[in-house]
Amino acid sequence: MKKKLRIYLPFASNELKRQMAYKGAFYLFIFISLFGSFIQYFLWMAIYGSAENSVLGGLTREEMVVYIFMVYVTGSVVMISISDWVSDDVVKGTVAMNLIKPIDYRMSLISRAMGQVVYRFLVPGVFIWIGLEIYKVTVLGLSVTGVTNVLLYLASCIMSFFIYVLFDFCFGMVAFFTTYIFGMLMAKEALLSFLTGQLIPLSFFPEVVQKVFDYLPFSSMVYTPVMIYLGKYSDAQLCFVLARQAAWVVILYVLGSLIWKQVTKRLVVLGG
Amino acid sequence: MKLREEKIVIEVSHITKEFVSPKKYPGLKGAIKGLFSNEKVSKKAVDDISFTIEAGEIVGYIGSNGAGKSTTIKMMTGILNPTEGRCMVNGINPCKQRKENARNIGVVFGQRTQLWWDLPLSESFTILKEIYDVSDEDYKERMVFLNNVLELQDFFDRPVRTLSLGQRMRADLGAALLHNPKVLYLDEPTIGLDLVVKDNIRKAIKEINEKYQTTVILTTHDIGDIEELCSRIIIIDQGKKIYDGSLEALKDTYGTKRKVSMEVKKPEKVEHLNLAERLGVTAQECSMEVDKEQKVLTVTFDKHKLQVPQIMNAVMELTEVQDVKIQETELAEIVKQIYNHGFTGQEA
Repeated sequence: MKKKLRIYLPFASNELKRQMAYKGAFYLFIFISLFGSFIQYFLWMAIYGSAENSVLGGLTREEMVVYIFMVYVTGSVVMISISDWVSDDVVKGTVAMNLIKPIDYRMSLISRAMGQVVYRFLVPGVFIWIGLEIYKVTVLGLSVTGVTNVLLYLASCIMSFFIYVLFDFCFGMVAFFTTYIFGMLMAKEALLSFLTGQLIPLSFFPEVVQKVFDYLPFSSMVYTPVMIYLGKYSDAQLCFVLARQAAWVVILYVLGSLIWKQVTKRLVVLGG
Repeated sequence: MKLREEKIVIEVSHITKEFVSPKKYPGLKGAIKGLFSNEKVSKKAVDDISFTIEAGEIVGYIGSNGAGKSTTIKMMTGILNPTEGRCMVNGINPCKQRKENARNIGVVFGQRTQLWWDLPLSESFTILKEIYDVSDEDYKERMVFLNNVLELQDFFDRPVRTLSLGQRMRADLGAALLHNPKVLYLDEPTIGLDLVVKDNIRKAIKEINEKYQTTVILTTHDIGDIEELCSRIIIIDQGKKIYDGSLEALKDTYGTKRKVSMEVKKPEKVEHLNLAERLGVTAQECSMEVDKEQKVLTVTFDKHKLQVPQIMNAVMELTEVQDVKIQETELAEIVKQIYNHGFTGQEA
């Protein structure tokens, strides 16, 4: 275990260093995605302003503000698109360079993703989070989120991260069969922003659709931790959603291993 | 016999790789047709190749573009599964036990880098040290050696993306050797490099081979690489092995022709000389060309049948010779000949 840590830790720390090497791109990323959050903010405020009910989809106006920005913080930290790297590796043929080393490809990708998590948590995640809490107390007049909720939120986030990267690894494996998945990556982004509740809280969907979402891993990626943060779950529900997250981690892990076995059997390395 | 077997590092037996791809049709019409057709074409990139390589050998693996060199290398490194046949490296099947095999090998793909593109070179080496579990003493010792032969210290702290091709190649070679692999695969290690760097790389490969008894398998298009480094060469063409043997044997069998150019004072005097008849050999074994304007007489002959002085004597009886130039057939020419016409001779 310790040895594994020694091998894969450098992948994480190098990704961190790499991120810092391309500062411009990163700040642009923050700016653009935050911009999107503010558009959502104003849109929702307009909706609440013209709505007759003060509670929409189970969320009050104030909770919606928290929801929008916590979704941003959670999404930016948890959703590290490793399938981008896989597709890059496959198209450029650099996957060969990974495979000639005595390392596990998936582990190396997840380690890299962890490096990015740390960076994204530090800038801008934690600042927006703190800013949001201050805004919440001073402007919205709500109380500070309790320690239990924060801890549960973080625990849920960690599982969310694994669900996302393990899912994304399986998704990225498609690249080995089609050798080019740029279009699918775009489709994935669009679909996920919808299915994870980033665009609209899942509680806004009709009952039937929500039932379907219950059986998909996507709601566990962003929606669950944010709802935990908002304290929307009863104790029993809380246990259930956390257990569901854990189950998805295991399922996706096993699925990924099986797919990887198939992939290595019919591996095609391009170029050279 | 037993001893010999123990020394065998790589054993490739009847390895075949077939690539299956959808059939493509020409033109726009063809592209549309391709959308609806499900026809597949298969191409054998490597076709029933077998060979064994012993410890400490430097083997040149050559063939024209697309002959299947890289595909074979990929199968030996374990990143490509052979369709048929099997290869064993150090007693390990690289496709089944990729990670175990990876500990024993070092690979340099000339057109790619295994270094971390955005990070200083030193960082890449630190990661590799951890990945291969190299101890601190070994790391230090090896770095001294690598610095000596590859001169990495000049750019050790610079990001890999800012390195020149020559520097990057040296760095890559160093990275592949950090864990002291038993087998080193070099896929076109000197591609695109200038003469000085090429020379350095070759020297480094030689030194590494001598010091650590590393087995080296090298694919290249550069004849110089082969002449300087390889004791043995394997030539493949269209996926089939067509030659496997020593460089000397190849030269002996296919480089038997020699050329002598003589600058003579009066070319018209030798113009009608039948050199083959005079020296008692067939016309195939000795032919002659006269360039009257340049006053140059060129004789091509079989070096097993005739000696240069014999020819010189015959010519000097008729006219004065001012200058002599002797040319050996170069390997490049032999290889070119083989690529162009295929290989019909028996294996050495």
